[in-house]
Amino acid sequence: MHPDFVQGWLAGAILASTPLFYAALGETLVEKAGLINLGVEGTMLMGASVSFAVASISGSLPLGLAAGMLAGGLFNLLLGPLIVVRGANQLASGLALMFLGQGLSAFYGKAFVGTSIDGLAPLPIPFLSNLPWVGQILFRQDLLVYLMLPCAFAVWFLLSRTAWGLNLRAVGEDRLVAYAAGSNTGLLRHQALFLGGLLAGLAGAHLSLAIAHTWTEGLTAGRGFIAVALVIFAAWRPLRVLPGALLFGGTLALQIQLQARGAQVSPFLLDMLPYLVTLLVLVLLRKSSRGRMPEGLKEVFESSR
Amino acid sequence: MVDRKALATISLLVAGALALFSLLLLAAGKNPLDTYSSLFSSTLGNAYGFGEVFVKLIPLLFTALAVAVPARLGLVNVGGEGQLHLGALLAAAAALACGSATPRWLGIPVTMVAGMAGGALWALVPALLRSWGFLNETISTLLLNYVALRVVDFFVYGPMRDPGSANIPQTMGFAPGYLWPSFTGRVHIGLVFALLALALAALVLNRTRWGYEIRAIGGNPIASHRHGLPLERAIVVVLCAGGALAGLAGTGEIMAIQGRLRPHFSADYGYLGFLVAWLASHRPLRILIMGFLVAVIATGGDSLQLDQGLPSATVNILMALLLFVVLAREGKLAS
Amino acid sequence: MSCSKKIPVVLTLALLLALATGTRAEPKVIVGALHVGSIKDAGYNQASHDGLELLKKNVPGLSVLEAENVPESADAERVMEQMINKGATIIIAQSFGFQDPALNVAAKYPKVTFLHASGFKLAPNFGTFWGNNFEAMYLAGIAAGAASKSGKLGFITAFPIPNILASINAFELGAKTRNPKVTTTVTYDNAWVDPVKEAGAVNALADAGVDVVTMITDSPITIVKTAEARGIHSIGFHSDALAQFAPKGWLTGVAYTWGDLYTKLVKEVVAGTWKPGHVRGGIESGYLKLAKFGPSVSGETKAAIAKAQAEIVAGKLVIFTGPIKDNTGKEVIAAGQKGGIGLLDTTNWLAEGVIGQAK
Repeated sequence: MHPDFVQGWLAGAILASTPLFYAALGETLVEKAGLINLGVEGTMLMGASVSFAVASISGSLPLGLAAGMLAGGLFNLLLGPLIVVRGANQLASGLALMFLGQGLSAFYGKAFVGTSIDGLAPLPIPFLSNLPWVGQILFRQDLLVYLMLPCAFAVWFLLSRTAWGLNLRAVGEDRLVAYAAGSNTGLLRHQALFLGGLLAGLAGAHLSLAIAHTWTEGLTAGRGFIAVALVIFAAWRPLRVLPGALLFGGTLALQIQLQARGAQVSPFLLDMLPYLVTLLVLVLLRKSSRGRMPEGLKEVFESSR
Repeated sequence: MVDRKALATISLLVAGALALFSLLLLAAGKNPLDTYSSLFSSTLGNAYGFGEVFVKLIPLLFTALAVAVPARLGLVNVGGEGQLHLGALLAAAAALACGSATPRWLGIPVTMVAGMAGGALWALVPALLRSWGFLNETISTLLLNYVALRVVDFFVYGPMRDPGSANIPQTMGFAPGYLWPSFTGRVHIGLVFALLALALAALVLNRTRWGYEIRAIGGNPIASHRHGLPLERAIVVVLCAGGALAGLAGTGEIMAIQGRLRPHFSADYGYLGFLVAWLASHRPLRILIMGFLVAVIATGGDSLQLDQGLPSATVNILMALLLFVVLAREGKLAS
Repeated sequence: MSCSKKIPVVLTLALLLALATGTRAEPKVIVGALHVGSIKDAGYNQASHDGLELLKKNVPGLSVLEAENVPESADAERVMEQMINKGATIIIAQSFGFQDPALNVAAKYPKVTFLHASGFKLAPNFGTFWGNNFEAMYLAGIAAGAASKSGKLGFITAFPIPNILASINAFELGAKTRNPKVTTTVTYDNAWVDPVKEAGAVNALADAGVDVVTMITDSPITIVKTAEARGIHSIGFHSDALAQFAPKGWLTGVAYTWGDLYTKLVKEVVAGTWKPGHVRGGIESGYLKLAKFGPSVSGETKAAIAKAQAEIVAGKLVIFTGPIKDNTGKEVIAAGQKGGIGLLDTTNWLAEGVIGQAK
């Protein structure tokens, strides 16, 4: 009845990867438009705190989730006037957004520290959850976990099969050409920021409502930055974000599983694993990702001074 | 010589950010005047507070330079936090390994060299990865920040733990020969080093040929070819220089303030330094001014808690607003 | 700069100067308290806060300045200095990591008394206090050992520091009195508060077959809730406000009741009779108590706990009575020897039956 090590690890990996997935998926949209938001951490914090606050006060989970998503979307939009309209440096603006998110969420979230709600409970899928071995891993997760695959497909479809998506990618590759072709580049980029923020807000909401069931300052603990790394890892392809998130989530979960099963490894060394693995894989996969970076984004990295 | 127009603009921008922050405070039912009053009185209004601003300023100057120097070549070093930790680690290791009878004139330089080496080493991997075209330094330095924290934890809980301290995770206290002396209160000679570093950076970047060249290249491989300056080497040099500077921030903190290496001794100095560098458009003199401003705000955070009942992270909002207005003003000119 | 631009600058400077002068607090007994986390965490910091509230009730005319989320680094010094600037004459530094910063400040202000939680150093105006958590953890261990069907217990905590290791050991020893084969698996999350990691730890432990989990982290809510969701038992720590989060699985908890201790110490300081020392007390002194029992604790277990508690208070039962081996097989307490309250500050091993690293 008890899951074995691998089962426990994989189930834990899936759960841990969910917030990373949504945040990275959102950031993929943003980066496809030629923008980069280093402050996803701040957006996730806003999503986590607002969704928890609203769910606590209203007693309604859907309302809480929606509020968290909206908060994320609006928060990301703050970058719009700064980096889209004024053309300010995107890397610094993103970090400013992170500080803002940290401060704001701590500020009004204070009233909710020390409280807890049931939040998102696991939803076992009938029949599938009783499948031998895989049932426990895959089909006893919460709603947002199940929605990961559909969301990845949705964003893929949006980007590669809709006019909007194609226009957005054109903007990300060469703004002048897109503009000349009649696209409203400013609007498209703002839309990308908003949608990306919705997803990042959802990621934060998952952390507070499904995993932690509470709110504390700085709940995200650096996951927003990991999400940015995962976008590169996925070579800006929405469908690759999921495996990337699973890899990172997998190392996060591995570390805790090893401790729980009594492994004789220093907890500090184990803690380093997720970041080192990400770094290693990013370096190993460089060839496949380099060609895929949106041109507009290359500008951001190569000419920032 | 001071650009008066720029000074007036900066003052207006600061006022703008303060005004926005006041709106937020009002919305939370707090009196903005009270809040600013406690912020300034606890920092500028008494001798201790004033000294504490400088205590915070010292590491900030180093970490801001750690961002500003590579930025001249178009590189984005977000790894100040990690680099300062490794600098502290190596400085601590040197102080513990080199015996306790060392006189000051030898001990202090030893810690500085070790600290710079530690920070530079931690920046080396991202530098090489970037110069070989493998991975952008923004991501690699960011990820390594998290690794650095654990590395320090590992040593402080393990091989470097003080055997006589009842199993508390910290190293032995450093012998007096290594400790950086203070002038008054906790304001220590790190201030002198930091100011020297600022002056040196300004000199090298603005008045030497090499400095001129790296600014002209700005990370563009074609331009570097034309100038005959090997880009790969320049990348490694500036990033490691940045790392070394951040390493000094960490060294100062443990050699002057803490007296031993403990986990989590940094109050986000790396990220705040990034903020300061950008507020200052990477110019050394402006780094001093913006560093001072950020140090005042960061130091004032505690008083917000004690007097106003606001979480001290609230000051992050103010700092973010400041950066927003400065970035918005400069727009595409931010360089 | 033209005149019209000078005036706003001068006015701004004048305003800043005016704001900078501020006002001083009225002299009366002011206590400054430093918390490492949030006072509403239903855990460690809340317990301190509740103790301070009781202190205010017990000592009329006393006011308390509280600072939350103070980092355990040199920054803490500044917070203490600010409190002293506002007139605080007693500082209660409620976390282990505040020891050295507090000592530094104590050296500067000989007239201010510093009371530090769980420290081991002394100065003429610096003393420490601590509730002997391992005694209570032993009793909680009895409840855990009795309740566990799988014989596997879990202990989630932050860092391997002495008083925590001592508590883990006591927990295992207590549990062994009910089930000699019981094991306790320890996981560390490298942070006093990290709800996401803590939730992961509960799940991983539950996956490994653990059916009773306890913790020493600052904010145990997430662990208790996650345990409840997994259908395993939980034993709380720091504050008995936790029981509400696990109506079915709650067994008991260790709750600090600092109020009486604070009152005693503060009264001594005010009366001038306080002397620096290490004030340590366990259940018998009222610095801790066991939280109320949950619905599944059997009468037999409750009786066993009550008996053990009485024996500890009477000095008849010494938890760390040798021979005791650590989990690498080495003997750490020889036969006939007894480890006392000093173990709170010196333990660097994990007892046999505990699965995990001591470093």
